[in-house]
Amino acid sequence: MREGTRHRAARLLLWYPREWRARYGEEFIELLVAELDERPRSLRRSVDLARSGLTARVAAAGLGGQPLDTEGSGRRSLATLAAALSIFSVVAVALWAQLTIGWQWAPPATRATSLAMVLMSLAILVVGAICLLAIAPVAWLAVRSINARWRHLLGPIGLVLGGLAVLVVGTHHFANGWPGTRGHPWADQGMVPGGVAAYAWASTLFVTSYWLHPTALAQFPGGEVAWMLVSPVAVAALIVGATRIVRRVDLSPRVVRFERRLGLLAAVTTTIFLTGAALWVVDGGPGPRNLFHIGSIDVVELAALAFLVLVTGRAAGRVTAGKPPVAPA
Amino acid sequence: MTKREGGDPRPEQFSGFGRYAGPATLILSSLAEGPKHGYALTKDIERFADVRLAPGTMYEALSRLESQGLIEAVESDDRRRPYRLTAMGAEALRSHLAAQRKIADLGLQRLAGSWGAG
Repeated sequence: MREGTRHRAARLLLWYPREWRARYGEEFIELLVAELDERPRSLRRSVDLARSGLTARVAAAGLGGQPLDTEGSGRRSLATLAAALSIFSVVAVALWAQLTIGWQWAPPATRATSLAMVLMSLAILVVGAICLLAIAPVAWLAVRSINARWRHLLGPIGLVLGGLAVLVVGTHHFANGWPGTRGHPWADQGMVPGGVAAYAWASTLFVTSYWLHPTALAQFPGGEVAWMLVSPVAVAALIVGATRIVRRVDLSPRVVRFERRLGLLAAVTTTIFLTGAALWVVDGGPGPRNLFHIGSIDVVELAALAFLVLVTGRAAGRVTAGKPPVAPA
Repeated sequence: MTKREGGDPRPEQFSGFGRYAGPATLILSSLAEGPKHGYALTKDIERFADVRLAPGTMYEALSRLESQGLIEAVESDDRRRPYRLTAMGAEALRSHLAAQRKIADLGLQRLAGSWGAG
């Protein structure tokens, strides 16, 4: 009985982030075991644990609240900013790619959707530039310090390079299957070069509602389904690797200030993209042959983007120079 | 005691606690008697204040109090780590309770003036 209660307490502890568990885990389990012995069921306690655990996770991610490691909090914010902006880029590119396919065949029927696409395209261009500018100094410092810190940087760099290699090769291959191919009798010139749109489509093929329709998915060529399974793993490797590099590499206060400014600019730009996407969703995307049709996945993506914009802004505002929060393993 | 902008009568050490000020006061008051671990704190607070602090809320407040230096963990072989009040914590609690008493006295006085002794 006691052992069962201890297991239950250990499971409840999982609401909390790793560093919190390392500091308070043992004593907290003792308190939970005593609580569970006295009151085996309590909705109030369950809600309280979920709330405080998530609050601790928000603080650990450098998004506000009371972090355990106040010195490393600013750097955690930078890592969270990098992760949020990366995920935003993936979802945004997936959404944008769907619309660019539409425009390759025919322009939207309303000004609102046309304006939405222009806003989204410009914002994506700026987000891309911000990402490149943000990556440059961090990559340079990571390469420079690889001799001194190879044990901590080799794994993340491997993840980034591996993920990138899979994405580049796979995207290049599957871009040939892009459904916006020119030469069709009613094909329009589109608003972006076909190659760019095709790459955007192929790299985010896995962001789709087909996962909820396995019968339809089974009709896809095997290679394409395999790519839809492999590419998110590659994207995840890329993001996890990049985030770990940001946390482990020694960044000067000047670089951190630069990254912070870029982060704030990213928060504004992602908001512009979100505005464009919302405009399209509200407009309903009328156009010939349902080319700009809104699906439930677009609404889900819009909600995800709104959340990521919030995280980006909150994290960017909290970026400060400080020691790398991850102790050398 | 520091009087902050907006008339917040809480001492400086309590100013960052927000909604944890209540649990923090209860925990500090309990530790004023001597070191206690989490469950002993829960039971003691339940006894003297008729409030049962949920474990998550309890440790959020403990963590804040510890990071501000108002309490500290006591070395122990027991897995149930006890906490004790620091000198700064004792001073913060004294100021906070004095401020609360001032408000309570004033409120009671006004009640007595307008509504009778009750």
